[in-house]
Amino acid sequence: MLTLARTLLSGAALAALVSTAAAEPKAEVIHWWTSGGESAAVKVFADAFTKAGGTWVDSAVAGGENARSAAINRVIGGNPPTAMQFNTGKQFDDIVAQSLVNDVEDVATEGKWRDFLPKPLLDAVTRDGKIYAIPVNVHGQNWIFTSTKAFETAGVKAPTSLDELVPALDALKAAGITPIAHGGQPWQDGIMFNALLLAKGGQDLYRRVYAEKDAEAVRSDDFRAVAELYGTLRGYVDAGSPGRNWNDATAMLIQGTGGVQFMGDWAKGEVKAAGLTPGKEVGCFIPGNDYMIGGDVFVLARTDDPDQKAAQALLARTMLSPETQVGFSLIKGSVPVRPDVDTAAFDSCGQTGLGLLKDETRQIGNPEMLSSADLVGSVRDVITEYWNSPDMTTDAFVDQFVEALEVAG
Amino acid sequence: MTAPSATLHRSAAGVVPRGARPKTLTAGRIGLIVFLAVSAAYVLTPLYVMVVTSLKTMEEIRLGAIFALPAAPTVEPWIAAWSTACTGLTCEGIQVGFWNSVAILVPSVVFSVLAGAINGYALAFWRPRGSNLLFAFLLLGAFIPVQVFLYPLVRISALLGVYGTLPNIVAIHVIFGLPITTLLFRNYYAGVPIELFKAARVDGAGFWRIFFQVMLPMSTPIVIVACILQVTGIWNDFILGLVFAGRENLPMTVQLNNVVNTTTGERPYNIHMAATILTAAVPLLVYFVSGRWFVRGIAAGAVKG
Amino acid sequence: MRPRRQIATGTIALLPVWAVVVVAYLGTIAWTVLISFTGSRTLPVYDFVGFAQYERLFGTSRWIVSIGNIATFGVLFIGCCLIIGFLLAVALDQKVRAEGALRTIYLYPYSMSFIVTGLVWQWIMNPELGLQRSLRDAGFESFTFDWAVNRDMAIYAVAVAGIWQASGLVMAILLAGLRGIDQDLWKATKVDGIPTWRVYLSIVLPLLKPMIVTAVVLLSVAVVKAYDLVVALTRGGPGIASEVPAKFVMDNLFERSNIGLATAASTVMLVTVLTALVPWLYAEYFRGAKGHG
Repeated sequence: MLTLARTLLSGAALAALVSTAAAEPKAEVIHWWTSGGESAAVKVFADAFTKAGGTWVDSAVAGGENARSAAINRVIGGNPPTAMQFNTGKQFDDIVAQSLVNDVEDVATEGKWRDFLPKPLLDAVTRDGKIYAIPVNVHGQNWIFTSTKAFETAGVKAPTSLDELVPALDALKAAGITPIAHGGQPWQDGIMFNALLLAKGGQDLYRRVYAEKDAEAVRSDDFRAVAELYGTLRGYVDAGSPGRNWNDATAMLIQGTGGVQFMGDWAKGEVKAAGLTPGKEVGCFIPGNDYMIGGDVFVLARTDDPDQKAAQALLARTMLSPETQVGFSLIKGSVPVRPDVDTAAFDSCGQTGLGLLKDETRQIGNPEMLSSADLVGSVRDVITEYWNSPDMTTDAFVDQFVEALEVAG
Repeated sequence: MTAPSATLHRSAAGVVPRGARPKTLTAGRIGLIVFLAVSAAYVLTPLYVMVVTSLKTMEEIRLGAIFALPAAPTVEPWIAAWSTACTGLTCEGIQVGFWNSVAILVPSVVFSVLAGAINGYALAFWRPRGSNLLFAFLLLGAFIPVQVFLYPLVRISALLGVYGTLPNIVAIHVIFGLPITTLLFRNYYAGVPIELFKAARVDGAGFWRIFFQVMLPMSTPIVIVACILQVTGIWNDFILGLVFAGRENLPMTVQLNNVVNTTTGERPYNIHMAATILTAAVPLLVYFVSGRWFVRGIAAGAVKG
Repeated sequence: MRPRRQIATGTIALLPVWAVVVVAYLGTIAWTVLISFTGSRTLPVYDFVGFAQYERLFGTSRWIVSIGNIATFGVLFIGCCLIIGFLLAVALDQKVRAEGALRTIYLYPYSMSFIVTGLVWQWIMNPELGLQRSLRDAGFESFTFDWAVNRDMAIYAVAVAGIWQASGLVMAILLAGLRGIDQDLWKATKVDGIPTWRVYLSIVLPLLKPMIVTAVVLLSVAVVKAYDLVVALTRGGPGIASEVPAKFVMDNLFERSNIGLATAASTVMLVTVLTALVPWLYAEYFRGAKGHG
């Protein structure tokens, strides 16, 4: 059996050697954009890259953690892809620290990225003064979507600010409509809490909690007020909420059986898939003053092969070109990372987002950009436990929150 | 030596009255049928929901009546799932990787079942020094989530220069299949009368001859079970194939995952259901066909003759 | 002399397995334990931090909840699968017409990816979509089935779906065992006039013991590794009500880039399995090395 295995192995090793001889600027890209709309969006990148003379080799793996795991293992196994997707934030800290990636400094300087990238985004891709990732889009994560149909049925105006929210929810409840269409999964519980923290607590409190891990901020009255508001909202969801996928909650808005949803701007994709227009049948607004942004980046695997390096540079250039940026984001439902582009084609929600991106004082990264995945996860455990435990006191919540900040790195 | 009549089919044993088998419908017989029917209904309910959902349009699915029959049945989702759904740049549905899956499946199942049978036989009858310890280690290994193994096994594979090849993924499947196949065969052989083994020894048969001529022929039911387990496990494996198989050999489940798994993209449930049922077709076929060989293994009187 | 040489053949036949066990299993286990004493994040690094990861682990309420859940789930899942699987195997062994079709029906859940079947179970158990709504619409207005969204019952909902998936497998294993039983048994008991149910209980069940042990081990492995099931059905929720240890390991291994904590949790799981396994293995296989019987 052993000899047989050895024969098989050597044959395969030989085959691998033969197939690696290539010369054109060929980029293998690992990403997790596999749903219909996402596929169409990634095609914009691939087409632009092909037009610029490159060959795009697509490695799509659904699920961020699957794609990242596959990419990192291939780097370790000595067979790295050209570029790999990460979420904007700290996910690629460790592989940068272990020198497993190439920086994008040359292309970034040449393309003057520092002049147009929104500050939170620039910070998120910079390590020790060098740019180590290609930011490709911005997703707003603190949107509240509203069902025009539901509010018409209830006979009230859809809310457009945080202050109007609770009265509007009461009106929906009185009309027998589920006020908050909520997908009760931990990450969605987190989206709702963080939106409230930023809207009601303000940018400063939010930053002190997530960027500075400040226990005093969590113990403050402002934070407690946010927690109490969040707790109050439990009364506005339906019994079927736990475990629900976000798109099913969006479908409730489309059907008019649910009133509002806290979600990122990707929810617009579901609205469009149903043949409707974001901003019309399903409205949108940012609660509070600030825009919470996240997004996706591509990180370039370490290589000294000149062909590969050329492909990496070409990739960075094409992905950030104004036309590609607009084309991609229009389909993806996100907004471009550069404000110096033609914005006419974006829907009204997208226009709002683009406007906010131009105001440096009104934007901040999502928790994933400000703190480690470990911390975000630990905090999320606490938030979801609180949301699902009506008998949990604010004190207990605050204590556990502080503990999570302290214990996670 | 008396060769055991390997597969004595039940109909051949028809003259022998067995168990509860009355000719007329007694209360017990009715109870039996009711039990089988109720169990089948419980088991089939989710499949029913999947099938009706796969035949609906998304507009109808959004209404949320999961048990309702489709108002206007459509096979579009099935076509999309098999051959046109986009997952990244390729728009070829889940059929991509079907043959890769087959190429991974066949050697992995054959080697892991054969290895399990040999191990189980050696452990049950020969018991060489340290074999119990070996068995204990194997069992222990079965309890660790495979994901924990990823990093060290990638390093070992890279060291051996086989990382990302077909033999790599086959070897990985055989390694992870060993505990279970060994356990199956070891315990099956534990139920085989030791006299059978002793008689063969007296007749002068050696290790391999007893295995191939005496034990293997009477192992059909457990071979079937081992195949069921391994075919299902290997066919449905996603993470090992993704990490070890290499770009050229990615199994079909990577495509399935691409079709059905998304965080922020839209979710066409009808296509998801169709894709899942389609992917399960191969194990299902194995279950169905294997029934033919799911027959009595140990013939009455094989030992005494 | 022959026996000695033959035993050598047995040893040689097991050599490849020994190699696999030493390199792949023991090596990996040792590595896992080693990493659990480091502060590793996305990638393994060797900065030793003593028992810090273990301290954190047992200070995390989610881990404590996970341990309680796995116990509840394990007992229910293994118990119900064994009972249902045994009854199905016995029933199918009664000369049932369409045995092949029925066997495939009972086995099919085992063949399907849980990413999607879990979603279907989620729908069926969702009070606003599934069984509860259908039966209420049909006139049974007080009918309540909200396990999947009820904090106190969510882990039972997970068990229901798990039992659905694995009972067929137990049936197949026990049916293989039944088909391996000597035909003469039935002749003899018939002559003695022993009632069928007694034959099953007092004679067949003990004869099936090795197969039952196989089933229990397989089910236990499934329990310890339970992950897909929970992710697809409840995502560990509502809140953290249905979290399980394997999900804790996986979340920390990948999503949270926290290999140190993940390996510490794996090590604890491994030690737990070991303490359960050792006395049983000892009684079963080591004492007098009477592996056969």
